[in-house]
Amino acid sequence: MEQRSEFKRDIAIYLGIICLTALIVTINHLRLKSLGMVLILTIASCEALIVGYYFMHLMTKKKTIHLILFLTFVVFLSLLFLPAWDIANSPRTPSEFTTY
Amino acid sequence: MHDTELVPYKVEAREDTGLYNAKFGLWLFLASEIMLFGSLFSAYILLRVGSFSWPQQSDYLNVPIGALNSVILLSSSIFFIRAWVALKADDLAKYKRLMWWVISLAGLFLFFKGIEYYQHFSRQEYPKTSVFLALYFLLTGLHALHILAGIGINIYYAGPGTRLRTINKQWFINRLEVAGLYWHFVDIIWIFLFSILYLL
Repeated sequence: MEQRSEFKRDIAIYLGIICLTALIVTINHLRLKSLGMVLILTIASCEALIVGYYFMHLMTKKKTIHLILFLTFVVFLSLLFLPAWDIANSPRTPSEFTTY
Repeated sequence: MHDTELVPYKVEAREDTGLYNAKFGLWLFLASEIMLFGSLFSAYILLRVGSFSWPQQSDYLNVPIGALNSVILLSSSIFFIRAWVALKADDLAKYKRLMWWVISLAGLFLFFKGIEYYQHFSRQEYPKTSVFLALYFLLTGLHALHILAGIGINIYYAGPGTRLRTINKQWFINRLEVAGLYWHFVDIIWIFLFSILYLL
Protein backbone atom coordinates (compact mmCIF):
# COMPACT_ATOMS: atom_id res chain seq x y z
CA MET A 1 0.00 0.00 0.00
CA GLU A 2 2.81 2.37 0.99
CA GLN A 3 4.73 1.38 -2.16
CA ARG A 4 1.72 2.27 -4.37
CA SER A 5 1.37 5.70 -2.77
CA GLU A 6 5.13 6.28 -3.12
CA PHE A 7 4.94 5.21 -6.78
CA LYS A 8 2.05 7.59 -7.43
CA ARG A 9 3.95 10.38 -5.70
CA ASP A 10 7.08 9.74 -7.80
CA ILE A 11 5.06 9.76 -11.04
CA ALA A 12 3.27 12.97 -10.01
CA ILE A 13 6.61 14.66 -9.30
CA TYR A 14 8.02 13.40 -12.60
CA LEU A 15 5.06 14.75 -14.57
CA GLY A 16 5.24 18.02 -12.64
CA ILE A 17 8.87 18.55 -13.57
CA ILE A 18 8.14 17.68 -17.21
CA CYS A 19 5.40 20.34 -17.21
CA LEU A 20 7.78 22.89 -15.69
CA THR A 21 10.34 22.07 -18.40
CA ALA A 22 7.67 22.59 -21.07
CA LEU A 23 6.79 25.89 -19.40
CA ILE A 24 10.34 27.25 -19.53
CA VAL A 25 10.67 26.21 -23.19
CA THR A 26 7.43 28.12 -23.89
CA ILE A 27 8.73 31.17 -22.01
CA ASN A 28 11.88 31.01 -24.14
CA HIS A 29 9.77 31.11 -27.31
CA LEU A 30 7.97 34.24 -26.08
CA ARG A 31 11.30 36.17 -26.02
CA LEU A 32 10.40 38.14 -22.89
CA LYS A 33 14.03 39.36 -22.39
CA SER A 34 14.78 40.23 -18.71
CA LEU A 35 11.42 39.01 -17.41
CA GLY A 36 11.84 35.76 -19.35
CA MET A 37 15.34 35.33 -17.90
CA VAL A 38 14.08 35.76 -14.33
CA LEU A 39 11.13 33.41 -14.91
CA ILE A 40 13.26 30.70 -16.53
CA LEU A 41 15.88 30.80 -13.75
CA THR A 42 13.20 30.79 -11.04
CA ILE A 43 11.36 27.82 -12.56
CA ALA A 44 14.64 25.94 -13.14
CA SER A 45 15.56 26.52 -9.49
CA CYS A 46 12.15 25.17 -8.46
CA GLU A 47 12.74 22.06 -10.58
CA ALA A 48 16.16 21.57 -8.95
CA LEU A 49 14.66 22.03 -5.48
CA ILE A 50 11.96 19.46 -6.21
CA VAL A 51 14.55 16.93 -7.42
CA GLY A 52 16.73 17.63 -4.39
CA TYR A 53 13.87 17.57 -1.89
CA TYR A 54 12.14 14.38 -3.06
CA PHE A 55 14.69 12.36 -5.05
CA MET A 56 17.78 13.20 -2.98
CA HIS A 57 15.84 12.93 0.29
CA LEU A 58 16.67 16.41 1.49
CA MET A 59 13.25 16.32 3.12
CA THR A 60 14.63 13.89 5.72
CA LYS A 61 15.87 16.91 7.67
CA LYS A 62 19.40 15.63 8.28
CA LYS A 63 21.10 18.69 9.76
CA THR A 64 24.55 17.53 8.61
CA ILE A 65 23.50 17.53 4.94
CA HIS A 66 21.79 20.90 5.26
CA LEU A 67 24.87 22.34 6.95
CA ILE A 68 27.19 21.02 4.21
CA LEU A 69 24.93 22.50 1.51
CA PHE A 70 24.49 25.81 3.35
CA LEU A 71 28.25 26.28 3.77
CA THR A 72 28.84 25.31 0.13
CA PHE A 73 26.38 27.90 -1.13
CA VAL A 74 27.75 30.62 1.15
CA VAL A 75 31.28 29.99 -0.18
CA PHE A 76 30.02 29.74 -3.76
CA LEU A 77 28.04 33.00 -3.58
CA SER A 78 31.02 34.76 -1.99
CA LEU A 79 33.30 33.58 -4.79
CA LEU A 80 30.69 34.60 -7.37
CA PHE A 81 30.19 38.13 -6.07
CA LEU A 82 33.79 38.85 -5.09
CA PRO A 83 35.06 39.25 -8.69
CA ALA A 84 31.85 41.08 -9.60
CA TRP A 85 32.43 43.52 -6.74
CA ASP A 86 36.07 43.88 -7.76
CA ILE A 87 35.09 44.63 -11.36
CA ALA A 88 32.43 47.11 -10.25
CA ASN A 89 34.94 48.98 -8.06
CA SER A 90 37.70 48.99 -10.65
CA PRO A 91 38.51 52.22 -12.58
CA ARG A 92 38.21 50.21 -15.83
CA THR A 93 34.74 49.63 -17.33
CA PRO A 94 33.37 46.06 -17.16
CA SER A 95 33.56 45.58 -20.93
CA GLU A 96 37.30 46.24 -20.84
CA PHE A 97 37.73 43.03 -18.85
CA THR A 98 36.29 40.76 -21.50
CA THR A 99 36.11 40.54 -25.23
CA TYR A 100 33.64 38.45 -27.18
CA MET B 1 34.82 -11.65 9.75
CA HIS B 2 34.03 -9.25 6.91
CA ASP B 3 35.09 -5.62 7.20
CA THR B 4 31.47 -4.46 7.43
CA GLU B 5 31.72 -5.77 10.97
CA LEU B 6 35.14 -4.17 11.61
CA VAL B 7 34.51 -0.72 10.16
CA PRO B 8 31.82 1.16 12.10
CA TYR B 9 28.96 3.06 10.47
CA LYS B 10 29.28 1.29 7.15
CA VAL B 11 25.64 0.28 7.42
CA GLU B 12 24.20 1.94 10.50
CA ALA B 13 24.11 5.73 10.86
CA ARG B 14 26.42 7.66 13.18
CA GLU B 15 24.66 9.12 16.18
CA ASP B 16 26.03 12.66 15.71
CA THR B 17 25.56 13.11 11.95
CA GLY B 18 22.66 10.70 11.42
CA LEU B 19 24.43 9.45 8.28
CA TYR B 20 26.37 6.33 7.42
CA ASN B 21 29.93 6.76 6.08
CA ALA B 22 29.25 6.56 2.35
CA LYS B 23 26.37 9.03 2.46
CA PHE B 24 28.39 11.55 4.46
CA GLY B 25 31.32 11.14 2.09
CA LEU B 26 29.18 11.53 -0.98
CA TRP B 27 27.53 14.72 0.25
CA LEU B 28 31.02 16.18 0.80
CA PHE B 29 31.91 15.10 -2.73
CA LEU B 30 28.73 16.73 -4.08
CA ALA B 31 29.71 19.92 -2.25
CA SER B 32 32.98 19.91 -4.21
CA GLU B 33 31.03 19.25 -7.42
CA ILE B 34 28.81 22.25 -6.66
CA MET B 35 31.97 24.34 -6.38
CA LEU B 36 33.26 22.90 -9.68
CA PHE B 37 30.14 23.59 -11.71
CA GLY B 38 29.42 26.73 -9.72
CA SER B 39 32.75 28.25 -10.68
CA LEU B 40 32.04 27.51 -14.35
CA PHE B 41 28.55 28.98 -14.14
CA SER B 42 29.95 32.08 -12.46
CA ALA B 43 32.56 32.37 -15.24
CA TYR B 44 29.66 32.27 -17.71
CA ILE B 45 27.78 34.98 -15.80
CA LEU B 46 30.77 37.31 -15.57
CA LEU B 47 31.79 36.81 -19.20
CA ARG B 48 28.25 37.38 -20.44
CA VAL B 49 27.61 40.44 -18.27
CA GLY B 50 30.98 41.93 -19.20
CA SER B 51 30.76 41.42 -22.94
CA PHE B 52 29.81 44.03 -25.52
CA SER B 53 27.34 41.69 -27.15
CA TRP B 54 26.10 38.12 -26.66
CA PRO B 55 24.43 35.87 -29.23
CA GLN B 56 20.86 34.66 -28.99
CA GLN B 57 21.82 31.28 -27.58
CA SER B 58 18.75 29.40 -28.76
CA ASP B 59 19.73 30.34 -32.34
CA TYR B 60 22.98 28.38 -31.94
CA LEU B 61 21.63 25.44 -29.98
CA ASN B 62 19.06 22.77 -30.71
CA VAL B 63 16.37 23.48 -28.09
CA PRO B 64 14.13 20.48 -29.04
CA ILE B 65 17.04 18.06 -28.54
CA GLY B 66 17.98 19.81 -25.29
CA ALA B 67 14.39 19.51 -24.05
CA LEU B 68 14.29 15.85 -25.11
CA ASN B 69 17.53 15.23 -23.22
CA SER B 70 15.96 16.83 -20.14
CA VAL B 71 13.04 14.37 -20.33
CA ILE B 72 15.44 11.45 -20.90
CA LEU B 73 17.61 12.30 -17.90
CA LEU B 74 14.63 12.93 -15.64
CA SER B 75 13.12 9.60 -16.72
CA SER B 76 16.38 7.85 -15.85
CA SER B 77 16.23 9.45 -12.39
CA ILE B 78 12.72 8.08 -11.85
CA PHE B 79 13.81 4.61 -12.98
CA PHE B 80 16.73 4.81 -10.53
CA ILE B 81 14.40 5.57 -7.65
CA ARG B 82 12.11 2.68 -8.58
CA ALA B 83 15.16 0.40 -8.88
CA TRP B 84 16.19 1.36 -5.34
CA VAL B 85 12.66 0.70 -4.07
CA ALA B 86 12.67 -2.70 -5.83
CA LEU B 87 16.01 -3.53 -4.22
CA LYS B 88 14.69 -2.64 -0.75
CA ALA B 89 11.69 -4.90 -1.47
CA ASP B 90 14.11 -7.76 -2.31
CA ASP B 91 12.98 -7.96 -5.96
CA LEU B 92 16.40 -8.43 -7.55
CA ALA B 93 15.12 -9.16 -11.07
CA LYS B 94 13.03 -5.96 -11.14
CA TYR B 95 15.95 -4.00 -9.68
CA LYS B 96 18.31 -5.18 -12.44
CA ARG B 97 15.72 -4.53 -15.15
CA LEU B 98 15.14 -0.98 -13.95
CA MET B 99 18.87 -0.29 -13.58
CA TRP B 100 19.41 -1.31 -17.20
CA TRP B 101 16.69 1.16 -18.15
CA VAL B 102 18.66 3.85 -16.29
CA ILE B 103 21.83 2.90 -18.17
CA SER B 104 20.03 2.78 -21.53
CA LEU B 105 18.46 6.20 -21.04
CA ALA B 106 21.82 7.64 -20.03
CA GLY B 107 23.32 6.18 -23.20
CA LEU B 108 20.48 7.74 -25.21
CA PHE B 109 21.26 11.11 -23.61
CA LEU B 110 24.88 10.83 -24.72
CA PHE B 111 23.74 9.75 -28.18
CA PHE B 112 21.64 12.90 -28.65
CA LYS B 113 24.44 15.01 -27.18
CA GLY B 114 26.74 13.48 -29.77
CA ILE B 115 24.27 14.40 -32.50
CA GLU B 116 24.26 18.01 -31.25
CA TYR B 117 28.06 18.15 -31.23
CA TYR B 118 28.12 16.70 -34.75
CA GLN B 119 25.68 19.40 -35.90
CA HIS B 120 27.93 22.09 -34.41
CA PHE B 121 31.08 20.71 -35.99
CA SER B 122 29.43 20.38 -39.39
CA ARG B 123 28.53 24.09 -39.17
CA GLN B 124 32.18 24.90 -38.29
CA GLU B 125 31.18 25.79 -34.74
CA TYR B 126 34.04 24.88 -32.43
CA PRO B 127 35.06 26.00 -28.92
CA LYS B 128 37.54 28.43 -30.48
CA THR B 129 34.78 30.08 -32.57
CA SER B 130 33.42 32.27 -29.77
CA VAL B 131 33.37 32.74 -25.99
CA PHE B 132 29.81 31.43 -25.81
CA LEU B 133 30.63 28.26 -27.72
CA ALA B 134 33.76 27.73 -25.61
CA LEU B 135 31.62 27.88 -22.47
CA TYR B 136 28.94 25.68 -24.04
CA PHE B 137 31.38 22.92 -25.01
CA LEU B 138 33.20 23.14 -21.66
CA LEU B 139 30.04 22.93 -19.55
CA THR B 140 28.22 20.30 -21.58
CA GLY B 141 31.41 18.30 -22.16
CA LEU B 142 32.15 18.19 -18.43
CA HIS B 143 28.56 17.19 -17.75
CA ALA B 144 28.75 14.45 -20.40
CA LEU B 145 31.87 13.07 -18.69
CA HIS B 146 29.94 12.94 -15.44
CA ILE B 147 27.15 11.03 -17.21
CA LEU B 148 29.74 8.60 -18.60
CA ALA B 149 31.18 8.04 -15.13
CA GLY B 150 27.66 7.48 -13.80
CA ILE B 151 27.00 4.92 -16.54
CA GLY B 152 30.12 3.03 -15.46
CA ILE B 153 29.04 3.04 -11.81
CA ASN B 154 25.50 1.97 -12.69
CA ILE B 155 26.72 -0.88 -14.94
CA TYR B 156 28.81 -2.14 -12.03
CA TYR B 157 25.88 -2.02 -9.60
CA ALA B 158 23.51 -3.59 -12.13
CA GLY B 159 25.97 -6.32 -12.98
CA PRO B 160 28.94 -7.68 -11.02
CA GLY B 161 28.33 -5.39 -8.04
CA THR B 162 25.15 -7.23 -7.07
CA ARG B 163 27.25 -9.93 -5.41
CA LEU B 164 27.85 -7.38 -2.63
CA ARG B 165 24.23 -8.01 -1.69
CA THR B 166 25.15 -11.54 -0.62
CA ILE B 167 27.72 -10.13 1.83
CA ASN B 168 25.46 -7.55 3.47
CA LYS B 169 22.07 -6.63 2.01
CA GLN B 170 21.69 -3.25 3.75
CA TRP B 171 25.25 -2.29 2.80
CA PHE B 172 24.42 -2.81 -0.88
CA ILE B 173 21.14 -0.88 -0.55
CA ASN B 174 23.10 1.99 1.00
CA ARG B 175 25.64 1.93 -1.82
CA LEU B 176 22.85 2.16 -4.36
CA GLU B 177 21.27 5.05 -2.48
CA VAL B 178 24.58 6.87 -2.64
CA ALA B 179 24.95 6.15 -6.36
CA GLY B 180 21.43 7.50 -6.78
CA LEU B 181 22.36 10.74 -5.02
CA TYR B 182 25.16 11.23 -7.54
CA TRP B 183 22.78 10.49 -10.43
CA HIS B 184 20.14 12.96 -9.24
CA PHE B 185 22.84 15.59 -8.77
CA VAL B 186 23.92 15.13 -12.41
CA ASP B 187 20.25 15.56 -13.35
CA ILE B 188 20.06 18.84 -11.38
CA ILE B 189 23.18 20.13 -13.15
CA TRP B 190 21.54 19.40 -16.51
CA ILE B 191 18.39 21.30 -15.45
CA PHE B 192 20.52 24.40 -14.94
CA LEU B 193 22.66 23.76 -18.03
CA PHE B 194 19.60 23.47 -20.26
CA SER B 195 17.98 26.58 -18.79
CA ILE B 196 21.09 28.76 -18.86
CA LEU B 197 22.72 27.67 -22.12
CA TYR B 198 19.70 26.85 -24.27
CA LEU B 199 16.96 29.16 -23.04
CA LEU B 200 18.49 32.41 -21.75
